[in-house]
Amino acid sequence: MLSRVADSLFWMSRYVERADGILRMLKINYASSQDDVQEFSWRPVLKIFTYLEDDKIAMLQHNTRGVLIYMVTDKENPNSVLNIVTQARENARSVQDHITKEMWQCLNDFYHTVRDEKLAPLLLKEDPITILDILIKQGLVYVGTTDVTMARGEGNSFINIGKFLERAIQTTDILDVKFSVLNARDIDAPSDTTYWKYMLLSISGYELYLRTYRGGFEAKNVVEQIVLSEDFPRSVIYSVNQLHRYFERLRGDRNNAAFDHLNFIIGKLKSRIKFSTPVSIMHEGLHQYLYETRAGLVEIGNTLTKNYFS
Amino acid sequence: MQTSELLQSYLVDANTWDEMYKDASVREQYKKAVEFLQQLSIEELNKKEELAKKLFMSQGITFTVYSSGEGIEKIFPFDIIPRIITSSEWDYIEKGIRQRLKALNLFLKDIYSNQFILKDGIIPTEMIYSCPHYLREMYNFPVPYDIYVHISGIDLIRNSDGTFYILEDNLRTPSGVSYMLENREITKRIFPDLLPNNAVRSVTEYPNILYRNLVSLSPRQIKNPTIVLLTPGIYNSAYFEHTTLARLMGVELVQGSDLVVDDHKVYMKTTTGLQQVDVIYRRVDDEFLDPLVFNPGSMLGVAGIMSAYRKGNVAIVNALGNGVADDKAIYTFVPAMIRYYLNEEPILKNVPTYHLDRPEEREHVFNNIESMVIKKTNESGGYGMLMGSAASSEEIIKYKGEVLQNPREFIAQPIISLSSSPCYMNGKLQPRRVDLRPYALFGPDGIEIVPGGLTRVALREGSLVVNSSQGGGSKDTWVLG
Repeated sequence: MLSRVADSLFWMSRYVERADGILRMLKINYASSQDDVQEFSWRPVLKIFTYLEDDKIAMLQHNTRGVLIYMVTDKENPNSVLNIVTQARENARSVQDHITKEMWQCLNDFYHTVRDEKLAPLLLKEDPITILDILIKQGLVYVGTTDVTMARGEGNSFINIGKFLERAIQTTDILDVKFSVLNARDIDAPSDTTYWKYMLLSISGYELYLRTYRGGFEAKNVVEQIVLSEDFPRSVIYSVNQLHRYFERLRGDRNNAAFDHLNFIIGKLKSRIKFSTPVSIMHEGLHQYLYETRAGLVEIGNTLTKNYFS
Repeated sequence: MQTSELLQSYLVDANTWDEMYKDASVREQYKKAVEFLQQLSIEELNKKEELAKKLFMSQGITFTVYSSGEGIEKIFPFDIIPRIITSSEWDYIEKGIRQRLKALNLFLKDIYSNQFILKDGIIPTEMIYSCPHYLREMYNFPVPYDIYVHISGIDLIRNSDGTFYILEDNLRTPSGVSYMLENREITKRIFPDLLPNNAVRSVTEYPNILYRNLVSLSPRQIKNPTIVLLTPGIYNSAYFEHTTLARLMGVELVQGSDLVVDDHKVYMKTTTGLQQVDVIYRRVDDEFLDPLVFNPGSMLGVAGIMSAYRKGNVAIVNALGNGVADDKAIYTFVPAMIRYYLNEEPILKNVPTYHLDRPEEREHVFNNIESMVIKKTNESGGYGMLMGSAASSEEIIKYKGEVLQNPREFIAQPIISLSSSPCYMNGKLQPRRVDLRPYALFGPDGIEIVPGGLTRVALREGSLVVNSSQGGGSKDTWVLG
C-alpha cells in the first residue's frame, strides 16, 4: 500500500473518531448544564477540545449556545466538528479507491450535513440534543459501514490503528482534565454524583460503572474503569490492546526493522498500563501517570509516521 | 402523437438539426422515451431532477471551486433527458472514428520517426516545428506496439442537415469519461426500466477494456504488473474522474510525490518499501511530467520518468508528444493524412478551417468575421476564442490585433450551428445545442469504442458553447441496439 494512502486512511479514521468524541462530550455536557443547580461551566470541555486562551475560555464558559456553535459549526475553530469532518472527508477523498464506495458516501453525507447552513440557527434555537444526535448517528453509520464493507487488509489495519490511537489519547485527556478541575474540591466527595455521572455518560461508561461498582462513586473506581477495564471499549487499556492487535497484522516479510521497532514501543506502553493498579496509579499521581501514558501514545503516532507514512 | 404540455413550447430553430423532432413529429428513436416522459407529471419530473442532483451530491461527483479561502462543492449540471443515437448513426460514427484514429496514430509514428509525410510534401515542415507540442524528446523512440493514442475523445457536432463533423481530436488526456459512466448510473436510478425497454447498449465495459489494454503494455512480462493512475491531486477539477477510473479498474491512484525513479526504473513508495511500477496511465500534461526534461518548476511529475520511459522500463499512457496531432492547425491536414496513410476517403468530415497565417485566407475571415469563430491553436476548453456573431466591434478590433501579431497561433471556422436536443427546463422540454464525445481505446488488439459517450450541452438558450468551463452541462447518451 502507498505510504500516502496509509497516512490518509489513518487520519481519516482519527478525525472521525475525534468528531465522535467531541459530539458525545457536547451532548452530555449540554444535558448536564440543564441539570446543574450552580452555573454550569464549559471550561473542561474547552480545555480539552480547543486551543483557546484562558481569557477566551473565561468569556465563553457560561455561554452554552455560544460553546455549541463554536464547537460544531465555527469555521474559525480548527477543532470544530465542521473542520474535523471536512478533514476526514478530504483524507477520504484522496483515497477513495482504497475505501468502499459506501464508506465514502457516508463521510460525504456527514460532510454535507455538518456544513448545512441551517445547522447553526437550529443549534441556537432548537433542542441541541436532537441536532447532536443527528450528527452522532452519521458517525455511527460510518463506523458500521466500515465494519461491514471494508476488506480486512492493510488499509483496515491503518483505519483501526488510527481509531484506537485517537480514542486512547482522548480518554486520557478527558480523565486528566476532569480530575484536574476537581483537584480544588475533595476528590472523594461522595455527594458529587452528578459530576461523575455525566463524565461517565459522556464516554458511554455510566451503565457499566453502575453494574460493576454499584455503591456510589469513588475516584479509584472511576480510574480503574476508564484506564484499566479490559471490557470497557473506551478505556485506555482496551484501546491500546486493539491498537496492538491491528498493528500486529502489519507484520510481513518486508519492513521488518520498522515493525519490530514500533512493536517494542507499543508493547512497552501496553505492559506499563497492564501492570498498573488503581492504587499504584494514585500513588504515582494520576496526572503524572496520564501524562506519561499520553506521551507513549504520541510516540506511537510519531513512529508510525516516520516508519510507515513517509 | 398528442402534443402534451411538456412539448408545447418546444420550438426548433429553423436552421438547426433537432435530435428529437423532424417536421414537427417525434423521430422514431425518441418515441418510446417521449411517451414515457409524457406519462409523468411536472411534479414527478421535478422530483426526478431533484433526485439526480442529490445522487451527484451524495456520491461526491463534484468539483470544488476555491474562493475566499473555502471550497464550494459544485456538480456539473446534468440534464435528465437522454440524448438518443440510432444504431445506424452509431455504426457510421464508429467507422469514421476508427479510420481517423488509425491515421492519426500513423501520423504520430511517422512524425516521430521517418517523417515521410513531410518529405512527400503533404504537410509543410514548418507546421510541425512551429507546434509547441512537438516533442523532440520523442524523436526516434519506438513506443510499445506503435500505439501513441491509447485513449482519445474525439468531438463531433452535427450541422443543419444532420451531417456529422469532427470538431476536434482530443489525443492527449481527454476527460469526461467518468461522466459517461456516472450519467448512465443516474439514469438507472431516476428512470427505472427505461433503459432495458429501449434496448440501450451498455457502456460498463469501458474500464475493463482500458485495464486489459494497460496490462498488455507492461514491459515486464509478469503475472500482476503494477499499474497506476497518475493524478495531479485532489485539487484538480477532474479528480473525481481519476478516483472513479482507479476504483473501477482496481489500480493504484498515485500522485507525483508517491513515485521515485532509481536506475531508470519507476517505483512507488509503499508501507513496505519501494515497489516497481510497470504502466502509468497519466492524467498529468506532458510539460509537467518530468521536471528534469520539461517544466523544471513542476511539482506534479516525477524526476527522471522520461529516462525510464525511453529505456522501456515503464509504459506511459497516452504517449508523450501527442499534442502535435490534435493541434488545431494540424487538424486541417487530417483528411489528407487519411488519404496518405490509408488510401481511403475520410468518412467523417472536417469543419472547413482557415489558417490565419495564410494572407488570402486571413483576409476572407476578417471580411466575414461575423459568421466566423476564431480559435487559438493551442488552447482548449473554449478559452481564448472569439465568436464573431456575438463579439462587440472593440473586441473584434482587439482580437484582430492579436491575430496579426502571431497568425500561426490562430485558425478560423465558419460558425456551425450545432444540433439541438431536448432538455428539461422549468417544467418543459426545450431545445439546447449539443455535441458528442465518444471515447476510443486503442490497444494491441485494435480499437474499441464503447457505444455511447459524453453529450455536452450548452444550457443557456441560443448558446453554441458546450464547454463545462463556459456554462455547459451533460446528458446521458444512449446508443440503441
